[in-house]
Amino acid sequence: MGQEAPVGVKEGADSGGSSVSRFVSVVVPLLLLASLAALPLASPSPNIIRLLFVTLTLVTASVGWNLIGGFAGQISFGFAVFYGLGAYTTALSINGGVPPLIAFLLGAIVAAVASLLIGLPTFRLKGPYFAIATIGVSEAVRVVMMNVPFTGGASGYRIIDKTRFVQSHHYYTALVLAVLAVGISILVRRSKLGLALIAIREDQDAASDLGVNPFVAKLLVHALAAALAGAAGGVYARYALFIDPDGVFAFRNGVAILLMPIIGGVGTIWGPVIGAFVYGLIHEEVVANFPQAHLLIFGSLLILIILFEPGGVVGLFKKFMRSLRARSSVGSHS
Amino acid sequence: MSAADFLNLFIAAVLLAGVYAAMSVGMTIIYGVMKIVNLAHAGFLMLGAYFVFEAYDRFKIDPLLGVLLAFPVFFFIGMGVHWLLVRRIATSDQPTLTSLLLLFGVWLVLQNLGYLIWGNSDRAILTPRTLSSVEIGPISFPTIRLAVFIVAVASLVGLEFILHKTWFGRSVRALMQNKEAGQIVGVNVNRTAQIAFGVGIAFAGAAGGLLAMLYSFNPDFGASFQLRAFVIIVLGGLESFGGVAVGSLILALAETFVILILPASYQPAIAFSLLVVALIVLPEGIAGLWAKRRRWA
Repeated sequence: MGQEAPVGVKEGADSGGSSVSRFVSVVVPLLLLASLAALPLASPSPNIIRLLFVTLTLVTASVGWNLIGGFAGQISFGFAVFYGLGAYTTALSINGGVPPLIAFLLGAIVAAVASLLIGLPTFRLKGPYFAIATIGVSEAVRVVMMNVPFTGGASGYRIIDKTRFVQSHHYYTALVLAVLAVGISILVRRSKLGLALIAIREDQDAASDLGVNPFVAKLLVHALAAALAGAAGGVYARYALFIDPDGVFAFRNGVAILLMPIIGGVGTIWGPVIGAFVYGLIHEEVVANFPQAHLLIFGSLLILIILFEPGGVVGLFKKFMRSLRARSSVGSHS
Repeated sequence: MSAADFLNLFIAAVLLAGVYAAMSVGMTIIYGVMKIVNLAHAGFLMLGAYFVFEAYDRFKIDPLLGVLLAFPVFFFIGMGVHWLLVRRIATSDQPTLTSLLLLFGVWLVLQNLGYLIWGNSDRAILTPRTLSSVEIGPISFPTIRLAVFIVAVASLVGLEFILHKTWFGRSVRALMQNKEAGQIVGVNVNRTAQIAFGVGIAFAGAAGGLLAMLYSFNPDFGASFQLRAFVIIVLGGLESFGGVAVGSLILALAETFVILILPASYQPAIAFSLLVVALIVLPEGIAGLWAKRRRWA
């Protein structure tokens, strides 16, 4: 009855039995985190910090998307809405004199509330309604934001941040938020909610027969995902100091937030992080070198991943490890 | 508002509904047979627009003739896309994530191929017909809208004929009603799916050509119409051809008459608002409403 062949890896990334996979899933992230945390001390060029800052906000949004898209299997094309609402809420709050941390929180809350507007009418139904509605909401919100007067409409909105600009503060904010997002992702994956979401992804009817309420579970995790994307948008807005509807609400942002977990490995803990780093670090180069064709390249990549390696980078890595192990066990027998 | 104004708006809405129906019917066929939401629909609408434009611009082929040519051309393009990509993914009785993402990828590729080939400037198809108008007493409407409406309705009648009088049409309807039962009585599912995909894309391409005669277009052209097509098929209950007609009329009326109460710049948000209302009030679409009536009776 249910959906066949869902995208993604069936077992979680934390099911590593061997010492190698435990090393990969614990030590490597910690080493990466330590080097990211220490990086500003080495005083690299501001452009590298900026690139990593943007990448870290993308990690947050990507990990957020994976909660609903990867764990629960509900594809959303409209995460630009949450990102943009978070950005605008933070911008308005900072200009209203709210401290930045509270402003990010408000951004997250507004995004979470907005997620209910999409979730309430669509999550009750099975079928493609949610995915369709997310395409519509993206366009509708952008149109409305182009026309509302109090944020300057299409001409954008400027943030007047009275605190002194220190680039590394922004960088650490983004880093802490990204770590928080990954932490939430791990907690959700290990909780009863995470199991319920995966059950819904595999077979919604069977899940509800076993006492899972798909409507509530999807609504809850969608709000959580939206809050993360909203906070990411807020952190970005405070750094950018200027936002406009065509920038933050653009459909291509929603596309980017969807591409990253798929590149990395949808439905896993580390896939969305890897995907965000791959996308974040290369997409400016790709855009600079192929201004007309960069979405052509990412679109082709999406098709190739779906057809040949739905597990993304993580899936490829697992295949590689499996073939290594197979080869070494053959070696020991001979 | 005078009666003549009202009548003018109403006729404009009906003429628009004809194009909307031609634009949405391809999506319904593909959904009905394969349970795939064709997110690449927008890309083929856009390609259809440029096909008719190039045919007119280079070979002086009348755009209306160009639309007729688009049917066979896009039929084979659709069959090709099915053979190359779509047949490789598993289908189910619900749209799978894989199919959504695959066709979304196809849309991205088509859209950006469009940017690569034609750049991002707006084009329009201007013929002597574009600026002339038909006047009947106080009612007047552009000739081009009437011509587009006639072609759209004629193609829908043609489709209706194919669906009811040919073996392919019977297979399509059988698979839409019950896939397993269709297989038992000997319908070749893969073959029918491939042809149905071709027909769906043929209608997307031709409808793109029709829309290009009414609006200016660029490679991003299809996106807002794809959303409208979604709304229409959701209103129609996803796999009902009669529902598509009614859904088109509702959306066209809503979009036409809403300018009386809201500024025109909000118009693109109408389709989405209607979608949300439809999902809350009529989750099974208008066809579901009919089915309910029948059950009560």
